[in-house]
Amino acid sequence: MRTAPFPPLSGMALASAMALTAGLAAPLQATAGPSAQALEQGRKIAFTRKLGNCLACHHIAGGTAAGNIGPPLVAMKQRYPNKAKLHAQIWDATVANPETPMPPFGRHQILTERQIDLLTDYIWSL
Amino acid sequence: MNQESPKMKTLSLFRAAGLALVLTGLANGPALAGDSAQAQYEDMYQQAKAAQKRAASVEGEWRDIGKFLKKAQALAKKGDYEAAFKLARKAYIQGKLGYTQALSQQKVDWPSYFK
Amino acid sequence: MLKRIITLAGTLGLCLSLATPAQAGPKEDLARFQHFYLKRFPGVPLKEFANGVYAIDKVSRENWEAIEEFPPYEPYVEEGKEMWNTPFKDGKGYKDCFPDGPAIKADYPRWDAASKRVLTLELAINECRQAHGEKPLKYKKGPIAILTAYIAWESRGKPTHVVIPDDPDARAAYERGKRFWLARRGQLNFSCATCHAQNAGKHIRADILSPALGHTTHFPVYRSKWGELGTLHRRFTGCNKQVRAKPFKPQSEQYRDLEYFLTYMSNGIPLNGPGARK
Ligand code: HEC
Repeated sequence: MRTAPFPPLSGMALASAMALTAGLAAPLQATAGPSAQALEQGRKIAFTRKLGNCLACHHIAGGTAAGNIGPPLVAMKQRYPNKAKLHAQIWDATVANPETPMPPFGRHQILTERQIDLLTDYIWSL
Repeated sequence: MNQESPKMKTLSLFRAAGLALVLTGLANGPALAGDSAQAQYEDMYQQAKAAQKRAASVEGEWRDIGKFLKKAQALAKKGDYEAAFKLARKAYIQGKLGYTQALSQQKVDWPSYFK
Repeated sequence: MLKRIITLAGTLGLCLSLATPAQAGPKEDLARFQHFYLKRFPGVPLKEFANGVYAIDKVSRENWEAIEEFPPYEPYVEEGKEMWNTPFKDGKGYKDCFPDGPAIKADYPRWDAASKRVLTLELAINECRQAHGEKPLKYKKGPIAILTAYIAWESRGKPTHVVIPDDPDARAAYERGKRFWLARRGQLNFSCATCHAQNAGKHIRADILSPALGHTTHFPVYRSKWGELGTLHRRFTGCNKQVRAKPFKPQSEQYRDLEYFLTYMSNGIPLNGPGARK
C-alpha cells in the first residue's frame, strides 16, 4: 500500500511541475547512457551529506571517511543487471527487506525524483 | 498489492498532474492574480498545520516541518506566495508521511536480528 | 490452498510457542537484549559494556584511556559537590529530600506509584528544589548536569537495578519505552535499534556505533564535541534529530519511559558516571 500524499496542486505550481516532468523525461530516454556531466551530478548527490550521503554507510571509490553499514558500492551492473531494480532499492529499500537500515530516499522524499534518477545512473556506473 | 514500480506510478501521477495543470493553466491564464496566490498559500498553510498536528498526535512529527512553516510564513509576509506555497506543501507532505510512518510502527516488536 | 493454510497455522503455532515462554515480559526482554550483545561481541564481559564504543574498539579505547588520565569531568564533580552542600533559601538542602544521598543514582529511574509515572533523578531534583522555593533547573546541560555528575560519581560501582513492578501502569510505561526504542522514526526512518543494535560496532561515516547495552551507566557525560557535560535526555534529543525526527522535550513522558526501558536493559552493569566520550 503506497499512499502518494499529493495535495491539490495549484496553477501556481504549474511551471515547477512542468519543469519536473521535463526533467524526468530526459534520463528515461537516454539510451546512449548518461553524460559525464550527469554522472558527476549523481556523484555529488551520493557524496553530499545533506543529499544522498551514501558514504555514511557505503564505501565508494573516491570517497573518504566512508561507513560500512551497507556493502561497498562496486560492480553494480553485476549486482543489479536490471537498473530498475537498483532504482527501486534506492527509492524504498524496505520493500525488498522490511528490516533494512537503508532510508527510503524516494518514499520519504529525501531526494527528488530527478536526483534519484541521477543517483541511480551514477551508482550503476560503479 | 500493485507490482507497478514506485517510480512508474509516481511518474504517471506527475504526468496526470501536469496535464491537469496545463488544462487549468489554460483556463485561468498563466499568471495568477496576487490575491488568489495568497488564498492558495493560506489554504496550503492551514492544511500543513493540520498535517503537522496529526503527525505529532501519534509522536511521528519530523524535524523540519516547523522550520518549513516558519520560513513559509516569512516568505508570505514578503509577498512571495509561490515560494511560500512550495514550502508549506513540503511541510504538508512530511506531516502526512510522518503520520503514516508512526502508525506503521505502533505494533513494533523485536526485529528478527534479536531472535 | 488448504495445505498452505495448514502450514501457515503450523508456523504460527510454532512462533507463538516460541514467543511466549511464560508470557514474554520485561524479564524475557532483558535476557534477549543482553544475549544479543554478548553474542555479537564475544569476549566482552557484561560489565565492560559500561564503556560504550571503548568496550569494542581498541583504537578509540587507547585515546579514551589517555583522556581518562586527566578526566575532563573532574572539575564538574567538585562543583557539583558544592551545589549539593549549598543550602536552599529556606535553610534546607538536597539531603532533606534525599536522605540516602548523594549516592542515589542507582535508585533512578523508578516507577512512582503515587504519581503513576517514571521518576528520573533529574525530575526528583527539580521537584525537591521547587518544594523548597527554588527555581527548577534546565534539563539538558549546565547546573543539573553538574549536580548529577557529583551524584553519579558518588554512586560509582553500584549495579544498575531498575525494577518493573507488577503494576499495569508501570508495565505500560515500560512497553511504551520499548516501542519508542524499536520504532523507526524521522525522515531517515531509523530506530534506535537500527543504529545501536543491528549495526552496533559498524561505522557510520567515521563514527563507530556503540552497543545500546550499557548506554545509561555513565551519564551525565562530558562530550568533547559539546565541550561540556550533558544529560542522557540531551543525547536522546541529538539521536532523534540526526534521523530528522522532531525531538521530544527533555523529561517528557516519552523520554522518561525510554530511559526506564533502556536503563532496565542494562540491569547488572555497575554505574560508572560521569563519563567521557568523543
Ligand atoms: C543514525 C544512527 C543513530 C540512531 C538512529 C540513534 N543513534 Fe544514538 N548514537 C549514534 C552515534 C553516531 C552516537 C555516537 C557514537 C556512539 O556512542 O555510538 C550515538 C550515541 C548514543 C548514546 C551515547 C553513548 C555513549 O556511550 O555515551 C546514547 C545513549 C544513544 N546514542 C541513544 C540512542 C537512542 C535512545 C536512540 C533512539 C532514540 C538512538 N541513540 C538513535 C547514532 C544513532
